[in-house]
Amino acid sequence: MRRVLPLVIVLATAALVAAGWSGAGGFALRAERSAATAEQAVRALMADIQAHNWDDAYASLDHRNDIQKSDFIAEIAGTDGSLRTYSNLQSFDVWPLHADESHSTLRVRMNWSSAVGSLEELRDLSVIRDGNIWRVVWAKPNFPVVPLQVVPVNYLRWDVIGRRSDDWGGGSVDSPQVRIMSMNAVERPDRVVVLGEVENEDTVPAYLNVNATLLKPDGASLDEQGSFDAISHRLLPKQISPYRVDFPGVRLSQVKSVRMDVRALLVPASADPVISVENQNIAKDALGRKILKGVLVNQSGQTANIAQVLAVFYDSGGKVIWVNDGYLGQALLPQAPVPFAVDIPDDVAARLQSYHVVVNHYIAPTV
Amino acid sequence: MNALLTARLLLVLIALPAIGQPIGLRPPSAVAAGSPVSIATSGAGTATFYLLGPSHAVKRTVQLGQEVSIPGSDLSSSGLYQAIACDSSGCASAAFQVLPASPARFSFLVHPSRVPVNTANAINATALVFDRFENTVLEPSSVAFRFSPGVGEPFNRRVPTELGIAWLQMGSTSKQGPLRVLASVGENAETRVIQQVASEACGLRMQATSGPRNVRLQTEPVRDCGGNPLPDGTVVSFTKIDGAGRSTVDTPIKKGVASAQFSVSGPARISVACGVVLGNEISLGGQP
Amino acid sequence: MTAASLRVTPVVGVLTACITLISGFEFSSSPVRAASLPKVTMNAESIRPRPIEQRTGETVTQAYARAWQDLAESLETNRTDLLGDYFTGKAKNRLSQRISDQQKLGLRTRYVDRGHQVKAVFYSPDGGEMQLQDQAQVEMQILDGDKAISTSNSTQKYLVLMTPGADRWYVRSLEEVPDNAF
Repeated sequence: MRRVLPLVIVLATAALVAAGWSGAGGFALRAERSAATAEQAVRALMADIQAHNWDDAYASLDHRNDIQKSDFIAEIAGTDGSLRTYSNLQSFDVWPLHADESHSTLRVRMNWSSAVGSLEELRDLSVIRDGNIWRVVWAKPNFPVVPLQVVPVNYLRWDVIGRRSDDWGGGSVDSPQVRIMSMNAVERPDRVVVLGEVENEDTVPAYLNVNATLLKPDGASLDEQGSFDAISHRLLPKQISPYRVDFPGVRLSQVKSVRMDVRALLVPASADPVISVENQNIAKDALGRKILKGVLVNQSGQTANIAQVLAVFYDSGGKVIWVNDGYLGQALLPQAPVPFAVDIPDDVAARLQSYHVVVNHYIAPTV
Repeated sequence: MNALLTARLLLVLIALPAIGQPIGLRPPSAVAAGSPVSIATSGAGTATFYLLGPSHAVKRTVQLGQEVSIPGSDLSSSGLYQAIACDSSGCASAAFQVLPASPARFSFLVHPSRVPVNTANAINATALVFDRFENTVLEPSSVAFRFSPGVGEPFNRRVPTELGIAWLQMGSTSKQGPLRVLASVGENAETRVIQQVASEACGLRMQATSGPRNVRLQTEPVRDCGGNPLPDGTVVSFTKIDGAGRSTVDTPIKKGVASAQFSVSGPARISVACGVVLGNEISLGGQP
Repeated sequence: MTAASLRVTPVVGVLTACITLISGFEFSSSPVRAASLPKVTMNAESIRPRPIEQRTGETVTQAYARAWQDLAESLETNRTDLLGDYFTGKAKNRLSQRISDQQKLGLRTRYVDRGHQVKAVFYSPDGGEMQLQDQAQVEMQILDGDKAISTSNSTQKYLVLMTPGADRWYVRSLEEVPDNAF
């Protein structure tokens, strides 16, 4: 009896642990990490990336292309304070494109969650058989090599000094003069969207927000929303930004008119960095979706850690018919081109005549 | 006996006026703010005196039949004052107006603080005239405005107030720079400075210098139609369209000009814009 | 409905010169207690130099009515915290001082607001100041403790300066003026 009781306890504990492991998806996870098939190899790699198991992830790769561990981690986890460094792999989808006995090509759609929303990344991965297991061939990242150089930074900078006087009737400085240049309300399948452009007409930088209020036929307010990050908030003098205000769940038939409101604040700003948007053109991505793609080049000497692309699309009459935005997971190193792509809805693509891209950027303060 | 009765009758006769007289207050109909005032009272005995004004309330014991002195400090705000006196028999009240004193200070607002040159009715100046207690002066007074542009002769305007407000509108001058606006009422004066800035770009032109694999673009000095240079930091957009697609760069004006560089391979068309103003176009290597 | 048929109502617009704007539960001619929103009728026929937009007029009228509602309640309850929503500057300072004095002396003022006929006469071109002339029908009772020491029922004229804040208009100056002022 004295020996039976401990044995029973040990067996019960083992059974409970096994049940817990199985209930947590242990078998599925083990299957994912087994790499017995090409798809399993890719899923196992994604699971390791999701769990930040860099050692396991790197060990499961095919190393014949001499990919370095540091390069692999830098590409997956991000560097230079980029948006990727603040992101986590939320989910992924894998499907085969081509398969034979020793080599397969699979497409993986990775969904990264970040502070600014979800970011989608599409990759085609080559997977080869290595004995009884499959290994993913991870393409060697091509990090830009910026030669050592001195880049003078002498663009204008604005500072706001002093504090606003509480004394009414005393001298003061007006908020920046901004103007809504255009407004167009369109209906999408699940929402009404208000689009347009806004200009900083002043000679000082402005930090602005655009709000829109939908009015019912009786003049009462139906809904009020702001542009959130579908706008370039900080505009230098004479700079123009697109904006987009979304009203989920609203139909255009409910709306009689739209009241626009733009609020601008005086803020310090710098005219640096200058970021060019090059080689923009309409293309299709790997999934056949229409995109506007191009390359961003940071022409200054300071890294832009997080960049956002805002694209505005016009019809043949010059009317704004769509505004879309996207964040880059990669930082913009000086002089190093970084590709971007922004989705275009099919119905917009059929009508669009021209487009314009504006780049927003965030530079992390240096410690 | 008769003498006693007579004395008692005399006493009653003397006391009768005091016993029967109701409380009364006789303030002046109007008084200037900050001026002391005396309010005549009628009645006998002591009473509780109240004075309620726009920014003040006073309560004290007074002797009826004597004047109640109100210091000027209790009458600083203009408006309607209620004087009340109460004793055991009841209360009496009277109202009087305290009027603003003579002009002593003013609030001066000028908008906007930055204005494009050559814009009609772009500048407006408003002066609100008060006495030394911040009461709005209702009597018409005269506000003198003096405008001193950075370039050109100063000029003056004189505007009468209506219920304490004097205002004027005027256009900006043709040259950029500070415009000092001085407003004066009597011996008091205040100054505000408006920055007149260049308006929209005019005649925007760029030139291109081609290299083996790139083209360098530079605008001529960017000015408005009056010849005022646009300030540094104003964004100029360059756009190139070639076989590789469209390329754009928003670059700020630096030392009066904006410049950019594009790589080119094959024919290209390059345009320039500043805000909503389009400049010239340059074609390289034929039409793209 | 297509996008083309939508009308845009920008924040700044131009309206007819004569607007009558009515606030609150105003259609009854009977007097209302201070707790309800007082009736304010505003005429902007004479306003200059800047015409008043429909929405601005409605907002100013509403703010003025609410200011009077707060004024009445604060003077009756001797609470200065009620003045923060629609009063600012000189008007707020003066009322606060009056309430402070009342509180120390045990006095209260009870208003019965019978309505305001307001005429907007000045609106600065930049929209920063608006002057109103108010002809108010107000019944006022002064109380020392619970004892009414004075009651008056009269038409009183006020000169008002309104200035815009972040999300509303404020009464910056509220001055009683003689009958012959306007």
